Amino acid sequence: MAPTEPSLEEESAALDGYFSDTPLAPKPNYPTLRETFETAVIITNLPKAPAAKVEKLTKVVNRLVSKIGPLAATDEFSGLQLPCDPDSGKTLGFAFVEYQTAESAVQAVKSLTGYALDKNHTLTAIPYTKATELQNVETGEFQEPEPAPFKEKPNTSKWLEDDGQRDQFIIRQARETIVSWNDARNPPVVDYDGAREKEAGVAWCEYYVQWSPEGSYLATLVPSKGVILWGGEKYEKLQRFPHSGVDRVIFSPCENFILTLSNHREDPEAIKVFNIATGKLQRAFPLFPKGFLDEKLSPQEKAQIPPPAFQWSHDDKFLARMGKDIISIYDTTTFKLLDSRSLLADGIKEFQFSPKSNILACWSPEKNNQPAHVDIIELPSRKKLRQKNLFNVTACSMVWQNDGTYLAVKVTRHTKSKKTFYNNLELFRLEEQGVPVEMLDIKDAVMALAWEPSGNKFAMIHAENPSSTKVNVSFYNMKKTTITPGVGKKKQTQTVTNEVNLMETLPGKQCNCLFWSPAGENIILASLGDSASGQLEFYNVKTKSLVVKEHYRCNQLLWDPSGRTVATIVSQPIQGGHFKFAMDNGYILWTFQGKQLHQASFETFYQFQWRPRPSLLTKSQKNKIVKNLKKYEMEFDKADKELALKLKLEATSAKRALRTEFRNRLARLRQLKVQQKEEQIALYNGYDSDDESNYVTKEVSIETIISSKEEVVA
Amino acid sequence: MRPILLKGHERSITVVKYNYDGDLLFTASKDHTPSMWRAENGDRIGTFNGHKGTIWDLDVDRFSTRLITASADATVNLWNCETGEIIHTFTHHGPVRGVAWSDGCQMFATINDPFVGHNAQISVYDAPIGADSFSDVPKLEIDLPKQSDGKVVKPTNIVWLNLNEALFVTFDNGAIRLYDPVTGEEMEEFFPHEKKINRVSFNKEKTLFITSSADFTSKLYDVVDLHHLKTYKTDRPVNDAVISETKDHILLGGGQEAMSVTTTSGKVGKFETRFFHLVYEEEFGTVKGHFGPINALAVSPNGLSYASGAEDGYVRLHFFDKSYLDMKDPVPEDTLEGEEESKE
Repeated sequence: MAPTEPSLEEESAALDGYFSDTPLAPKPNYPTLRETFETAVIITNLPKAPAAKVEKLTKVVNRLVSKIGPLAATDEFSGLQLPCDPDSGKTLGFAFVEYQTAESAVQAVKSLTGYALDKNHTLTAIPYTKATELQNVETGEFQEPEPAPFKEKPNTSKWLEDDGQRDQFIIRQARETIVSWNDARNPPVVDYDGAREKEAGVAWCEYYVQWSPEGSYLATLVPSKGVILWGGEKYEKLQRFPHSGVDRVIFSPCENFILTLSNHREDPEAIKVFNIATGKLQRAFPLFPKGFLDEKLSPQEKAQIPPPAFQWSHDDKFLARMGKDIISIYDTTTFKLLDSRSLLADGIKEFQFSPKSNILACWSPEKNNQPAHVDIIELPSRKKLRQKNLFNVTACSMVWQNDGTYLAVKVTRHTKSKKTFYNNLELFRLEEQGVPVEMLDIKDAVMALAWEPSGNKFAMIHAENPSSTKVNVSFYNMKKTTITPGVGKKKQTQTVTNEVNLMETLPGKQCNCLFWSPAGENIILASLGDSASGQLEFYNVKTKSLVVKEHYRCNQLLWDPSGRTVATIVSQPIQGGHFKFAMDNGYILWTFQGKQLHQASFETFYQFQWRPRPSLLTKSQKNKIVKNLKKYEMEFDKADKELALKLKLEATSAKRALRTEFRNRLARLRQLKVQQKEEQIALYNGYDSDDESNYVTKEVSIETIISSKEEVVA
Repeated sequence: MRPILLKGHERSITVVKYNYDGDLLFTASKDHTPSMWRAENGDRIGTFNGHKGTIWDLDVDRFSTRLITASADATVNLWNCETGEIIHTFTHHGPVRGVAWSDGCQMFATINDPFVGHNAQISVYDAPIGADSFSDVPKLEIDLPKQSDGKVVKPTNIVWLNLNEALFVTFDNGAIRLYDPVTGEEMEEFFPHEKKINRVSFNKEKTLFITSSADFTSKLYDVVDLHHLKTYKTDRPVNDAVISETKDHILLGGGQEAMSVTTTSGKVGKFETRFFHLVYEEEFGTVKGHFGPINALAVSPNGLSYASGAEDGYVRLHFFDKSYLDMKDPVPEDTLEGEEESKE
């Protein structure tokens, strides 16, 4: 049998699967063609490098741009191109960058804009798409826009021109928000109680209020919407800052900015900074800086940690917040990190700005064989003015004197066993060369420390046992005055040295807070809070006079800015649920000497706040006034007397009118009564109660021997 | 002003009352036995024994011969003042809150709380002077059913107005109503307060009355026009307020509610008697002493003394100091130099 061709069947079986009827995919696995340019970015303002340096520049730029994300590099194209001038070979000062993802491109625009490559070259990055748009912009004649019509802003310091030099305060009570004048003598007079808003049927304030540091503005919080700023003589609406969930506001000291905070831990914009004049949002922050919360902690533990607070520097130049091992300082001109980097502070626990200069103090605990230390750092130079190392530290707390002249650091230390604790104070003198530090050893536990405003003294509460009810209050002076008595012809001399010395100790007190008057000299030792007695001791450190008063359940004490009046307050949180104090809610106003001026009670009382005053006088002006005090005293006394007389006359005539009206009514009632007399007698079967003959008058004389004395008459 | 402490009761005082002439003082408390005292020196003359419940109110007639007492044991007793014996017992349907002699003392009115199946009621009984038998059936009964909103209002005080023109009843919802004492018809209703009216008291002529309320205020009204004249504000519930007969003063008593007293210190309960000026509504003085809220106050008709009874179970009988009696009105009768004539 001749070999036969294999049958078609056999052939196809042998080749099964080799050929297929399905057509082959004509497209190899090419990357998809991008039709948009959203991954591309143009960087401008690069240096124009000569041909010799092109390679180096390319390297630098490459390193910079690839930090942000992987470049879309292919065999022919590295993803970065710096075009060169074909004649000179010099680069043209710009670059094309192409990323793999659009996200990287967006990020690059954000981070590279404003990046300072060197002194003369601050980069600008724009998305490629934007660049093409810019190309097509029609070039026409520039037309200056019409300036917006001038609108006069209310005078926010009008209230300072008050004839009576009175101070203002605001209260939040039930649904009312009321601003009143206080003249330190008579009951407060209402200035504005939101009458206009009430009439319009809107709430003037639904939550807390906050005066600005110089008293120009009043911020009212509406948690669902944001913050409204009021000011001027008639409390006009000046500005609105939208921020839903707002819980608190912090004004900058010079009133240029306002920081609004909400309590939403997850919100990346929980903290917002607005410019007060323009109302523009400057920057937003989350409640916690990145990496602040240890990831290992449980959500409950995380909820325990309070967010680090932002602090303004005294001149509004800086805004700072503590992060993990850093202090992030933002320059308020741009709201970017000062010099693009945070201040490193390993292990930092707390920092505080000086109230009068751009100096900050911070402390860090012991770490890796390094002792704990308190640092004094100057801004913006970041120069360490002083570092003080401390050992066996458990905790520190820092208290600045209000002029920034002194800084007191209360150090709680432990013994080697870490079982017993003791305190000492480190006192920094900021105004002297090299910032000398004095250490003050205190055996007792220190519960509170307060500097005398603009003075050299401080007071502190201390006791052997922090839980004891009787405590001691000591006063110290940072300057020591030594008097050398005159010998012979030598005159008595007074020398003042910088040496801290104990002035006096008041033993066996019942207090937990200290409040210096803003004018100094007077201090109130108060026992505030839930379990305390509400005892108030008004003490004058110069005359040593002591007046003891009480405001039961009082939980807040506030001096007015002039130091003439002090308010003690029983309030409850606005969120409700606290009816504990309902009976005692309200405030009492006292003179600085402890005389009660006025008391007000409310069923629900949330807030009391004095309107702060700007300090407009310089030190020399103040001294001049002190020098001529007698003259002013006479003037004021006279004005006081006149006012008192006027008020007395007004009150008397008002009361007289009331009395006359009341008497007229009584007379009419009596007349009606007389008309009823006949009928009344008839009811009593003819007995007249007013008839004296129905009574028998008996005269009884009682003799009482008050004292008896025997005398021998000679 | 050292008071005489009348330690005759074992439980909180509910009423203190002078008789018309001011020589006797009647007190009642939650301990079931009202007492009669000599107002001049605080000697106890006797007690009225017979009730089995708290005495909420009492009233003595014009001639100080017959006393009526309202008790939580759902009875009103008519007593002979001189002997302390029960003349008659009038049985009610619920705890009796108030009693009042009419003008002429020939009949009296009572109010009682609602009690199982019975509404609160106002009843008027005949009790003619000299009678020795009494009808247990009131000559007038006014039923106080639930209001249209389903709320039960309880009467708190009852008084007869001059010439028995109307029955004046206060309520725990802050209302005052006037009823016709013959027909029982409601003549008038108004709301001086939003909370319970604890007590109402009149001046001797019954031309002015003052309410004391749990809303921390007392209000002065004129009886004829029912016109609101003055409001006296405090920071604690007011339990009783009285008008001084001889001075333009008001005495207020009250304090933190008894139920929350234990949670606060004595200093803050505000258990003082407060003195207000009748016309200017200004508080000008306080008298301390009690360690529980003051429930009852009474000023002697001669204006020389006053008595206060409190939750602490004591009655304090105070005789005013000369400085108080000599006190002049803060506004002099003659116009001051430079004072503007008030504009009419």
